[in-house]
Amino acid sequence: MSYLTFMKQALGNLFKKPATSPYPLQPKIFQEGVRGHVENDSSRCILCGMCMRTCPAGAITVDRKTGTWRLDPFSCVQCAACVENCPKKCLSMKPEYTAPALKKEAVELQVALPAASQKPALAGRSPAPAAPAAAASAGAMGSQIVNDVSRCICCGMCQRNCPAGAITVDLRERTWRIDLASCVNCDTCITNCPRKCLSLGSYEGNPEEVTLRVPRPKVGKAPAQKGAPDA
Amino acid sequence: MAEITTVPFGPQHPVLPEPVHLDLELKDEKVVRAIPSIGYVHRGLEKLVEKRDFKQFTFVAERVCGICSFGHGWGYVKAVEGLMGIEVPRRASYLRTLWHELSRVHSHLLWLGLAADAMGFESLFMTAWRLRETVLDLFEETTGGRVIFSVCKVGGVRRDLTGAMRTEMEEKLKGMRKEFRAMSDVFLHDGTIQSRLAGIGVLSLQDARDFGCLGPMARASGLPLDYRCADDEGAYKDLHFRPVTEQAGDCLARVKVRLEEIEQSVGLILGCLENLPDGPVEVPVKGFPPAGEYFTRVEQPRGEAVYYVKGNGTRNLERFRLRTPTNGNLPGLVKILQGCDLADVPNIILTIDPCISCCER
Repeated sequence: MSYLTFMKQALGNLFKKPATSPYPLQPKIFQEGVRGHVENDSSRCILCGMCMRTCPAGAITVDRKTGTWRLDPFSCVQCAACVENCPKKCLSMKPEYTAPALKKEAVELQVALPAASQKPALAGRSPAPAAPAAAASAGAMGSQIVNDVSRCICCGMCQRNCPAGAITVDLRERTWRIDLASCVNCDTCITNCPRKCLSLGSYEGNPEEVTLRVPRPKVGKAPAQKGAPDA
Repeated sequence: MAEITTVPFGPQHPVLPEPVHLDLELKDEKVVRAIPSIGYVHRGLEKLVEKRDFKQFTFVAERVCGICSFGHGWGYVKAVEGLMGIEVPRRASYLRTLWHELSRVHSHLLWLGLAADAMGFESLFMTAWRLRETVLDLFEETTGGRVIFSVCKVGGVRRDLTGAMRTEMEEKLKGMRKEFRAMSDVFLHDGTIQSRLAGIGVLSLQDARDFGCLGPMARASGLPLDYRCADDEGAYKDLHFRPVTEQAGDCLARVKVRLEEIEQSVGLILGCLENLPDGPVEVPVKGFPPAGEYFTRVEQPRGEAVYYVKGNGTRNLERFRLRTPTNGNLPGLVKILQGCDLADVPNIILTIDPCISCCER
């Protein structure tokens, strides 16, 4: 047992640089990769709402009707789950912490959706199911997801990746169904489609829901002819 | 014969980092009986598992505690992975071990500082926390967070270590180890510290076993209880892990165990960095946890924590249950407080390293 064992360190400390920095005279240097705050590049945002659904703290509100994307920085826990799940990669995590504030104000962004992707006003459910021939009009760019069923294999990749849960694929019944009212036009299904049979197009009569019958592939023959779905 | 006086201790007390209340029944200056009561920081986090999906809940599980946050995240994802039958890539297991050990270093350094502060040794407290700052900087650089890391996810980890980070981590840890040894000498040999800790709050091996003590508290009484010995998922088997034990069972022994564990953890981290396997850091997770139950354990800085999950085939789990080490150590604390001096009570309470927010969730 001895006394004054700390003396050597205490004297040494007199000749060392201070361990603290003179904040705010010298601002904090943030390292790259630090999770400080979330930023949204509103020019790329499509208001799909995926960030709102994945946020564990419920800090993000997306309103397609008014075209607003709202983040409450005081509820945000900087987990970056929204950034990871953003289908358009318009969200990013910046290293600087949010500045202290006197009022708890939310960050609100007005997102201008391209005119084509604005949802048409749905007056009511269309009486007849959309003509599958609409798929043929895919060439003319629209804002709705259309399926070229002659190439579709009912793999279900679109259903699994759809952030809004708008697509239902039934392999047994061989049907592909899209709920256009829930679809957020994020194009994730198009990017993930292994057969490249999904594209942007439009359906006649602005239906709320479209069900397409997918023909069975003909065994041992050349691939099925295009544009002839047996609906 | 002296009358029995009841002195309330906590929930607000200078030595307590977290709120716990004890009714101390005193005869003169000696404690006859201590009655603990908790319930000041209950947040109902376990119930939240019904409202958040199983991936989101990882972030909630981490927030059970600010000091052992990585371990809670790991314990939860380990239980979900077990339920879903997911095998995590080896590199991810190594990274998890590395961050978990780094958080043990940070937790023990924080505790050593608090212990020094409880004795009134302010400059030692500052030294311990200055060292902890190095660890927090390493965390910030590698995970993006200083206290809540959010790097664990179901199926692996969310970040990888680059070559530059590895070299820097190695250098910084080696530098820190040198400074730590100088500080460690003060804890082990200083007369003031010896007189405040040696022979105080003795917990015998039999009592440690009978009261179900865990972690450094059990190990300081000679009970080699450490889940890391049995852990298959982490890198502990590859790194030939052996638990640190002390025999005396007093406050000083508990300090010694933690000092030794910091050295050991730094060794484990350097071992992980050296043997880090190549490959992916995560596997894709498909579907939801199936109906069923799973339970697993993680050795937290304060002792073994138990994680239980129950799935029902939907995106939300039906039940998540967590048993934390402080729960297990409170009965032992009540035992060692019996017969001690009132002046030693703060020191004794601190040496169990109570983490009440973990304990109440």
